[in-house]
Amino acid sequence: MRKGIAYFHIQLKRVMKTFPRQAAVNLLVCLCVGVLAAVFLRDGILAGDSQKYRIGVVGDLSSSYLGFGITAIQSLDDSRFMIELVTMTEKEAEESFMRGELYAIVELPEGMMDAIESGRNDKPISYIASQGQKGIGTMVMGQIVDVASTLVTSSQSAIFGMQTLMLERGMQEEFWDATNRLNLLLIELVVNRSGLYEVEVLGIANGLSVEGYYFCSILLFLLLLSGIHNSQLFLHKRVDEPRFMKSRGVGAWSQVAGEYLAYLCLLLFCTALLFVPLSFCLEKELLTIPEWEGLGAEPLSGFLFALLPVMAMFAALQFLLYELVTGVVSGILLQFLCGLGMGYLSGFFYPAAFFPDSMERIGRLLPTGQALQYVDGSVAGEGNPRAACGVLLYLAVFLALSALVRRNKIGRG
Amino acid sequence: MELILAGIRKSYKKKKVLVNVGLSTKAGSCVGILGGNGSGKSTLLSILAGVQKADGGSFLYQGEELFKNSRKIPSLLGYVPQGNPLIEELNAWDNLRMWYDKTTLRRELSQGALAMLGIDGFLKTPVYKMSGGMKKRLTIACAVVAKPKILVLDEPSAALDLVCKENIYRYLEQYKAQGGIVLLATHDMQELELCDQCYILKAGVLEPYQYDGDLHHLAGKL
Repeated sequence: MRKGIAYFHIQLKRVMKTFPRQAAVNLLVCLCVGVLAAVFLRDGILAGDSQKYRIGVVGDLSSSYLGFGITAIQSLDDSRFMIELVTMTEKEAEESFMRGELYAIVELPEGMMDAIESGRNDKPISYIASQGQKGIGTMVMGQIVDVASTLVTSSQSAIFGMQTLMLERGMQEEFWDATNRLNLLLIELVVNRSGLYEVEVLGIANGLSVEGYYFCSILLFLLLLSGIHNSQLFLHKRVDEPRFMKSRGVGAWSQVAGEYLAYLCLLLFCTALLFVPLSFCLEKELLTIPEWEGLGAEPLSGFLFALLPVMAMFAALQFLLYELVTGVVSGILLQFLCGLGMGYLSGFFYPAAFFPDSMERIGRLLPTGQALQYVDGSVAGEGNPRAACGVLLYLAVFLALSALVRRNKIGRG
Repeated sequence: MELILAGIRKSYKKKKVLVNVGLSTKAGSCVGILGGNGSGKSTLLSILAGVQKADGGSFLYQGEELFKNSRKIPSLLGYVPQGNPLIEELNAWDNLRMWYDKTTLRRELSQGALAMLGIDGFLKTPVYKMSGGMKKRLTIACAVVAKPKILVLDEPSAALDLVCKENIYRYLEQYKAQGGIVLLATHDMQELELCDQCYILKAGVLEPYQYDGDLHHLAGKL
């Protein structure tokens, strides 16, 4: 035991010699990833908000009713967040459509408004979309045009009917006033239709927001790949060192425990150091995680503590991978491929829910999958005891396998 | 007799490396083990050091069976492997501090075994900057920390310059003089001159050999 502790101390001294370099590399990598992630997240979310279906309106635009209707839709209706109606000539619309600037073209036939005003619906609106857009978007757009068409013709029929009745009964004085009131009533009915439903936006995976999810997955991916620049600490190109230690009474288990714990300390210090700029970003709201909204950097210390089992498990995984190989190139390659493959399957880049069922199940069972579920649970504030058990189980398995491989190396002729 | 090896066997899968190894020696003597490359010298020494397990046989020291009581081996036996077992990133002081407490280390550096090995001259040098001779002397210094009764060395002066060899030989002479037993695997004729007994390891068996300076005769035996 005394020798084991002495071995841990000397390994700690050894790994800490690399701390300044490791910390600098980690900070640099995180800075790059952080900036990229922030740009992607911000652009992605804002673009998602501002991304509208741009639709060209062409044809007979002479009616003032129509101009009023388009203006009303663009300024009052909920659809203004999704649809942008642009009035243009047929030629302009065609050119824009070919350049991909328009999602579709709505063509209003000659005399349509006159037909509507006289209570007829025999001049249908043409909705023009390209072959490649036969998706849900086109279907919804078609439905919207149908709804608009029906609403307009029905409203106009109502107005037309009311006007005919009023004229027949000699109510000329109230004619325009009543028309205006009925128009406003119909517009109000259309504009307020959103009262019929409520939109609820679910998190993209494990109940987390996009920011929360990618914050967790990017952090885990960085932790997972941190072993790459630690190859010099792990690789035992010479078997003389572990053999000599064994001859001095430090067996395979003590060696693995001492080296592993020393590396874990290094990983912990490096990660804790990363949390300083992270805390600044959260405090100054340069980075916003909806799950922690309004809390500033307060949840970070708890999160770092919750991250401990995952760091321990990833460190053990890196340790095992390096224990299995002797060459620097093969070691680094193995780390990178394992990190990338397992990270991808477990949903570090795309939420696992996007994958087929079998892949999703495998991804969740992998060490990275268990880690992601556990960390997501921590960020969501709900915890995930099952994933925590999975993480600890993997940790134990990786350490035991590392010790067995080391013992085999020492005893091999 | 102080040390007796008897019937030591070791196989790697189907390959029999040691078939029936036996020797006996007493305190204050040096035993040289000769043999061709791959004859099993290093395997035998690592078995004695407790690094590998023998398939059978016994290792008696003062009547105590050390194979059955392997926990005692680190305190009784110092092992110097052929390669470099030191932690490269650290200096000599740090490597020694793992095995010595500060007071003992300072005392040994000024008047003990470490002084004789000349460790004081490169205490602050990182291992990766050391010469082969420095590394070997430091390895011996780490191996003799518990003042072991038996010192096992695997080709201790291979690829070292004359000054380093001389330094190590002087230390081994003194170690013997203090009652220690030295077992060394070697190809070096100079090292053979240190030995009181010589054995040739061939086909997994140790055969006694009297070296008389005739290199051709020795080469024919290997």
